[in-house]
Amino acid sequence: MTPDPLQRDDAPPLVLLIDDSKEVHRLLRARLRNEAVRLIGANGGIEGLKMAREHGPAIVLLDLNMPDVDGFEVLRALKDDPATVNTPVIVLSGLATTQDKVAAFDLGAVDYVTKPFDLTELRARLRSSLKIHELLTMLAQRAQIDGMTGLWNRTFFNSRWAEEVSRSARHDRPLSLAMFDLDDFKSVNDTFGHPAGDAVLQGFASLLAHQCRQSDVVCRFGGEEFTLIMPDTAPDDAKILLDRIRASLEGTRWPRHPERVVTVSIGVVGTSDGAGSVEPSLWLERADANLYRAKEQGRNRVVASDLSAPAPRLAAG
Amino acid sequence: MADAPSPSDDHPIISEFADDPEMVELVRLYVSEMPERVRNIWSAWQGGQIESLTRLAHQLKGASAGYGFGQIGEAAARLEASLRALESEGESANDLDPQVRALVDLCERARG
Repeated sequence: MTPDPLQRDDAPPLVLLIDDSKEVHRLLRARLRNEAVRLIGANGGIEGLKMAREHGPAIVLLDLNMPDVDGFEVLRALKDDPATVNTPVIVLSGLATTQDKVAAFDLGAVDYVTKPFDLTELRARLRSSLKIHELLTMLAQRAQIDGMTGLWNRTFFNSRWAEEVSRSARHDRPLSLAMFDLDDFKSVNDTFGHPAGDAVLQGFASLLAHQCRQSDVVCRFGGEEFTLIMPDTAPDDAKILLDRIRASLEGTRWPRHPERVVTVSIGVVGTSDGAGSVEPSLWLERADANLYRAKEQGRNRVVASDLSAPAPRLAAG
Repeated sequence: MADAPSPSDDHPIISEFADDPEMVELVRLYVSEMPERVRNIWSAWQGGQIESLTRLAHQLKGASAGYGFGQIGEAAARLEASLRALESEGESANDLDPQVRALVDLCERARG
């Protein structure tokens, strides 16, 4: 599943120090040794910009007064570049007029520390800015994640799906799309209560996440509907994966209702070679039509077709 | 070009962090580089290179306190401010001779 929204990046955050003074570099390296950060350094603005773009640090410490290029220009460049615009910048400066501070904040700096700085204070400000950045990143991610299951939500699916279709067409790569609908889900809620229904949704989401590959994109599309984007996968291979998922769900015993099995109907459509310029929405219609056929033909099955073929082929199920 | 004046007395200036295990190596390194800094300051001053001298004072101001030499940092800050004021206030650079000597003196007395 890619990228796993349930996983946090546990590596210590990267801090980039841009300062022409090697003494300051040495000092910070020593003083930040016991903080949970990795420090990298640049000796001037030009090198600093290059490193910021290459390494994507969690935070930049920027000296305003450097010989090669004006610190304010570096700050401006960081904020002008989409790759670095959201990186928080703490300005370090030996110049301390109010005018300079206001200019720095107006250009987008999150904090201003005057030199000579107190190391304890710098550490505290660094920690605070890193925390805020972490929360903002989580917030941005959460907006695209389904709260109940932890899978990507429909909003994310819509934008991601369009990208994948375009990529597949551009590079003539295989692509498959599956739509899932849990069979008789309403009766699970009605018979065993909503907590049981939630457990089924979460259990299915977990099953999907575990069965899918790193490159697959798993989404909750609606109440009991899910979608699966399988890049670089032709429909025949998709069918194999999906049947495994179908069987796995059928074989699951649910603690709350061990006697009651839950099954899923699956409609999948795909192409072995980049499907020309078929609209993302047309793919969805075809996958949905196959899902409908799966329901009609008795549920608990996979119905697959090739995007270029007119009629669906029946899959084992 | 004359060498920098020798330290005025033998009272060493010990770093605030001389006993800090995290810093002791770094302080020693900083102190070992002082003679070079002093040479650079003195030759910039003797050569009338105000811009260079301002930059050197600025750097000393920025880092010294971090290595436990607040006194040096303050003297460097005063010198830097005076140098920057030169242009705007049209003062003679020669008036700053005592300040430069004072800074050099402090630097030479720095000890890890």
